[in-house]
Amino acid sequence: MLELQQIGKSFPGVRALDGINLQFRPGEIHALLGENGAGKSTMIKVVSGIYPEYDGEFFVNGDKMTLKSYQDALDHGISVVNQEIQIIPESSVAENIVMDKLSNFKKKSGRVDWKAINAFAGKYLDMVELDIDPNTPIGPLSAAQKQLIQIAKSLSCDSKILILDEPTSSVTRHEAATLFSIMRKLKDQGVTLIFVSHKLEEIFEVCDLVTVIRDGRWVGTDLVGNLDREKIIEMMIGRKCSNEYLGNLNKIGEDIVLEAKGITKESEIHDASFELHRGEILGFYGLVGAGRTELAKILIGNSRADSGTISVEGKEVEIHSVSEAIYEHGIGYVSENRKEEGLILDFDVEQNIGITIWNELKHRFSRKIDDVAIRKEEQRHVDKLQIKITGLDQMVKNLSGGNQQKVSIAKWLAADCDILIIDEPTVGVDVGAKEYIHQLIWDLAKVQNKSIILISSDLPEMIKLARRILVFKEHEIVGELDDIHTRESLCEDQISRRIGEFLV
Amino acid sequence: MNSMVKKYIKRRESGIAIAAILIFILFSVITDSFLTAYNLFNISRTLSFYVFIALSQAVVLVVGGMNLSIGGIGALATITTGYLLQNVGVPSSVAVICALGIGIACGALNGFLITKVPLNAFIVTLSTSFIFTGLVYGISKGFSYTDIPKSFSLVGRKAFLGLPIIFWLMLVMLAVVFYIYQYTVTGRRMLATGGNKEAAELSGINTDRMILFSNILSGFFAALTGILYVSRMGSAQPATGTNWMIISFAVAIIGGTSLDGGVITAIGLFFGGVIMVLIKNGLILVEANVYFEQAFLGSIILLAVSLDRIQYFFSHVRKKMNDSKNK
Ligand SMILES: Nc1ncnc2c1ncn2[C@@H]1O[C@H](COP(=O)(O)OP(=O)(O)OP(=O)(O)O)[C@@H](O)[C@H]1O
Ligand SMILES: [Mg+2]
Repeated sequence: MLELQQIGKSFPGVRALDGINLQFRPGEIHALLGENGAGKSTMIKVVSGIYPEYDGEFFVNGDKMTLKSYQDALDHGISVVNQEIQIIPESSVAENIVMDKLSNFKKKSGRVDWKAINAFAGKYLDMVELDIDPNTPIGPLSAAQKQLIQIAKSLSCDSKILILDEPTSSVTRHEAATLFSIMRKLKDQGVTLIFVSHKLEEIFEVCDLVTVIRDGRWVGTDLVGNLDREKIIEMMIGRKCSNEYLGNLNKIGEDIVLEAKGITKESEIHDASFELHRGEILGFYGLVGAGRTELAKILIGNSRADSGTISVEGKEVEIHSVSEAIYEHGIGYVSENRKEEGLILDFDVEQNIGITIWNELKHRFSRKIDDVAIRKEEQRHVDKLQIKITGLDQMVKNLSGGNQQKVSIAKWLAADCDILIIDEPTVGVDVGAKEYIHQLIWDLAKVQNKSIILISSDLPEMIKLARRILVFKEHEIVGELDDIHTRESLCEDQISRRIGEFLV
Repeated sequence: MNSMVKKYIKRRESGIAIAAILIFILFSVITDSFLTAYNLFNISRTLSFYVFIALSQAVVLVVGGMNLSIGGIGALATITTGYLLQNVGVPSSVAVICALGIGIACGALNGFLITKVPLNAFIVTLSTSFIFTGLVYGISKGFSYTDIPKSFSLVGRKAFLGLPIIFWLMLVMLAVVFYIYQYTVTGRRMLATGGNKEAAELSGINTDRMILFSNILSGFFAALTGILYVSRMGSAQPATGTNWMIISFAVAIIGGTSLDGGVITAIGLFFGGVIMVLIKNGLILVEANVYFEQAFLGSIILLAVSLDRIQYFFSHVRKKMNDSKNK
């Protein structure tokens, strides 16, 4: 049993946790919920030794813990699957799994026993139903596969307390189902499980108990059976949230703003053709790694196709760089990978959002950037997206995961492109903010008449927003659904089934 | 306004400034010859050279690169100036423009190889440093050009308002650099490139162009420094620049320029230069064995980069002590 007493933690300018008292019991799956920046990850980092400095104390089976490091936590039977994927890309899958216990795999001669390592890793890969050779390098695998490997690694520690911080944020439903069955198995074995997710349907699927925190304070703990979606959201954000149908988009005009014909690039995308109309939201759906992001990167000039043509506003164009895409053709791209491609983590919020508008807001002769105007513009987006920061000069690396995602989106709202490609916009974003981002994307198309390509692995999100969906499979467009919003009622199961038919 | 000031003069910079002032006071107290007009004049001149050298390194560190060939470029500019003045007899202005042109060309070559081939900055500039130095000795055959017109030494030797002209020139350059990185689009884009190249690229920044431009800037500063050395010495010596690499890294790092890119501060560079020059000058005044100089330099760099860690250590200890007191 894990028991927290009066746990608190401060960062400069924020009280991330304040007086938390909680109990996590063996044989229970306990959900930890809260808005972006509520303090979930911070609490987890406290109990897993990553933050050795904190207020209050916590106990495992009655023993007071004073952990110095994560290694220390592992030795006490506490392991964590992190929100941020932590792997060593150059090493093999097996090496990543046994990394922290390499010394257990020495032969008498002192040499590393690779056979034993691969067998050991293989066992846990089977557990998470990953059918890959433990010897393959981990780098090129998909985000979902890496996430599952992290889970396998935690399982291999045989911990009594397993903490999962948003393990499902970038995996598809099928992969999540595998994880849930493992979680149930562990629960039956008497493991204490803590589970963080912003996908509420998952909470109802696997959890027994729910604890909600808000602004670092405890709000409530209850059995899942006593709660419903609305109730949880109200606890999380302190008000009711309307999850309403967004209505129909404008009648889409005939004019085509972006057209791709036969885009092909070796082992990335094959013969992709589509048209994007003005004011339309076009969905790219498919499993992770199906070639959607690769196609997006060709469209914005970040990578070059071997063949095929792109036309913008009816004129055939060659886009050589992202800066050409933005400044000449008005095409922007919100990356799915905020850490590596979306944000400059060591910079403050101001620089991160401003990066796309410096050029517009500068003095004509002195070339001085008008910081006052920029800050004003940025503050508008920060307020609109309700990004939780202490100020525009806060470092992005100190923001919670969901708030980083919002900063990454704010940058592109500021850029004001006519064509926006949005790649997985709501990964790791809390329910309230997710509704908000959906509304925002909708308004961009409906009110501002922008044209949007939405890449998402989240089917409900796709159905809610997209008017047409292109289905991708193994680097090809295998099908199109173009009657989504014309149906009287949107039936998720039905659409899911039709997409499934394309994917087989 | 207040918050702006706070933001621009960051903690790190004030730390460096305080350290510089403390060292200054220390040497004033323990030696008689330190606080003399003659010595201060000399110090400010050496300081100016250090800052110029550091600038040529800092502008490439900013984009996450490095330039090991600044010494070679500086020497090439030096002997270009000497050759043109002595053997060709061109006017000073023509010599200066040609030498700066050579520096820019060398920087452009580095930048081109780094971005277009593409190759790693370490390998490229290590190789070109040998090429440039080889050219220097090939052309000069190891001899100095001593037949430099008197008028050419004006900038390097004369004073203005009691301080060397070079010193004022250095302040102007620092102000320009401050302005570029703080306020202009190109400056911010160079910083962003060093902060995260991938993200910068996807935000519409032409990162290759930024890297190329930084390398050109680096070549420009290296050449400028070389020309100023000619003016200072009254002769053009092929050995110019041999110790620039270590100085450039030392001053830039002490001055808070990040080796990972994305950070540069003009104020930091200035005080970084002050610390370096004071220690060097002070060691001579206290009659330390100057042959150990490089060992001192190395130690100072290590100390500077450990500073953050040390601060962390002390705050940690203080907190522990408070905790135990409270119990
Ligand atoms: N290293 C840090 N330095 C300063 N502030 C921090 C640091 N880490 C977290 N914070 C702040 O603490 C608060 C809680 O962050 P935390 O990461 O725990 O949120 P979270 O509940 O996990 O959110 P999310 O759902 O977005 O992942 C936030 O306001 C965040 O900005
Ligand atoms: Mg978190």
